[in-house]
Amino acid sequence: MGKNLPGYFGEFGGRYSPEILTEALEELESTYQKLKKSKKFKKELEYYLKNYVGRPSPLTYAERLTKLWGGARIWLKREDLNHTGAHKINNAIGQALIARFMGKKRIIAETGAGQHGLATATVGAMFGMETIIYMGAVDVERQNLNAKKIEMLGAKILPVTAGEATLKEATSEAMRDWALNVSTTHYIVGSAIGPHPFPTIVRDFQSFIGTEARAEFKKRNHKLPNAIVACVGGGSNSIGMFHAFLKDKQVAIYGAEAGGLGSKPGEHSATLTYGKTGFLHGTKTLIIQDEFGQIVPAHSVSAGLDYPGVGPEHAHLSQTGRVDYRMVTDEQALDSFLEVTRVEGIIPALETAHAFHVARDVAKDLGKKKDLIICLSGRGDKDVTEVLRLLGERSK
Amino acid sequence: MSKIKSLFDSRSFKSAFIPYFTLGDPNYNDSIEFGKTILDNGADILELGIPFSDPVADGPVIQRAVARSLKNPFSFEEIFRVTKAIHDHKPETPLVYLTYFNPIYHCGISKFLDRAKESGIVGLVIPDLPFDTEESEILFQELKVRDMDLIHLVTPASEKKRIQALSKTSSGFIYYVTSFGVTGERREFSVDLKERIKFLKDTIQLPICAGFGISTPEQSNQISQYADGIIIGSAIQRIIEENGSDRTKAVLALADYISKIRASIS
Repeated sequence: MGKNLPGYFGEFGGRYSPEILTEALEELESTYQKLKKSKKFKKELEYYLKNYVGRPSPLTYAERLTKLWGGARIWLKREDLNHTGAHKINNAIGQALIARFMGKKRIIAETGAGQHGLATATVGAMFGMETIIYMGAVDVERQNLNAKKIEMLGAKILPVTAGEATLKEATSEAMRDWALNVSTTHYIVGSAIGPHPFPTIVRDFQSFIGTEARAEFKKRNHKLPNAIVACVGGGSNSIGMFHAFLKDKQVAIYGAEAGGLGSKPGEHSATLTYGKTGFLHGTKTLIIQDEFGQIVPAHSVSAGLDYPGVGPEHAHLSQTGRVDYRMVTDEQALDSFLEVTRVEGIIPALETAHAFHVARDVAKDLGKKKDLIICLSGRGDKDVTEVLRLLGERSK
Repeated sequence: MSKIKSLFDSRSFKSAFIPYFTLGDPNYNDSIEFGKTILDNGADILELGIPFSDPVADGPVIQRAVARSLKNPFSFEEIFRVTKAIHDHKPETPLVYLTYFNPIYHCGISKFLDRAKESGIVGLVIPDLPFDTEESEILFQELKVRDMDLIHLVTPASEKKRIQALSKTSSGFIYYVTSFGVTGERREFSVDLKERIKFLKDTIQLPICAGFGISTPEQSNQISQYADGIIIGSAIQRIIEENGSDRTKAVLALADYISKIRASIS
């Protein structure tokens, strides 16, 4: 495998995982290549996306936000309206279909905010597969509603207590489980991270977001939007949103990453701003690490962005300058969360709230008669308890 | 000729004993004593673990060891200092590093290898750097000019074509992973372990050493009937974990365990 082979995005990507997983990754790659060309698979995937997930998700014109922000017209790509409340289900269904095709009866997943765990538990229930979800013990606590839902769906949550007990540790533990049970189990990686072919597979299953948004916007407005914005942790909703627009040079693309509490190591998850090239969880990408190559714990108010790495394609898009990645602090995200909730009657996920903050600045810069689409990656019911706690702390 | 190759060429043992432990657990100075004890009691090659924050190929025992080690301030200077002290105690025993690729990449491959070689290291095992990556090819060439080895892992799932391809950029010995999963003690091994090692010997012209899951003298004895070497990590790390707060006690327990394993495969 070299830089010019599939699996690399510029210098990033590739396959840097333990040898025990290699055969499974090769099987996954060849199966996916075959299924991608299969009309039957495409039809089946589209069937579930339409009849189970509720796709295509609508593009909502956010009239009140547009007025309030006083700049470009704001459009929302409503992934929050998907079954299970976020974009994660698109990928979970796609990968569960691949797992079924490969004859694997057990699926595992890592989860931070719980949305990917919830999506995986949901498809596990629907397809009748044994489902194990690895979740950091800290995240089980702060995303308790999702943890409870996952268990209600019949999946088993294995809380991970190592290290910071968040998404990074959950991902490591899921990889270990896969290494042990590789012949019976498929690991549904939830973000556009991991060893090849995962970043490509996840991107492809999420690219419905951008493809639909682009087509609907064009149909309604007879032009393309001027800008699009999405939040980036591992980066699955954003790569799904961005992909259809990458060749449209007139469309400006913005990513919002978690600036957390500040710029010091351990205070943020701003990989694209502060990360350096390295190797983590099977991929070569930008990583928040110290001077010795030890991974530094990440922080974000949103469990879904609390990860010290980023999908390799984002690392590449950042390096080439095609996407403008900006940091949003915990406080700014919280403010945007409240603003969107009150102004539009939509409670966004705390992850998505980061995208709204960037979008407000971009909308002002663009000015009137321009158009901006925000990927509303998920709904924020899961965050209500945490937001109330933070507001309580703020008022002290 | 590499030091590992000459060891296997002139072997005085039935099967090599290759113990592993993590440097810095519970502290760097104790690691020197543990290393000396292990060398004195019968290691043919010693694997020293450079701790990495996210050891995805390791089970709970080594994960905990790494976490304890990283509570000490980490630095390559400390790693090389401890390595050199262990090497100087018994310079004829080959020392290899086991670590993940990110710290090496971050240090800079050439710089890392120069310093490692000066400290007495003759080979590397990197569980998350498959042979078919550009970085592995670069590393192999860099090691070759320094007469050092790149030891690759082969697993029960590795296919013949891949093993053959791997032989081109592999030296020292093959680290055969006896079972699926991560490092850690196991009661049983796959039924075809013997056949699998024989198949490897027929496919690749390097000594085949077995690791992952081996812990008892009985297991070592059994596997040494057909493997060129026995690699043990978690069981040794467990002794350090259980006795590490008392250096003298830990040294005695290590000496006892290492000599028993050595005797079981002689």
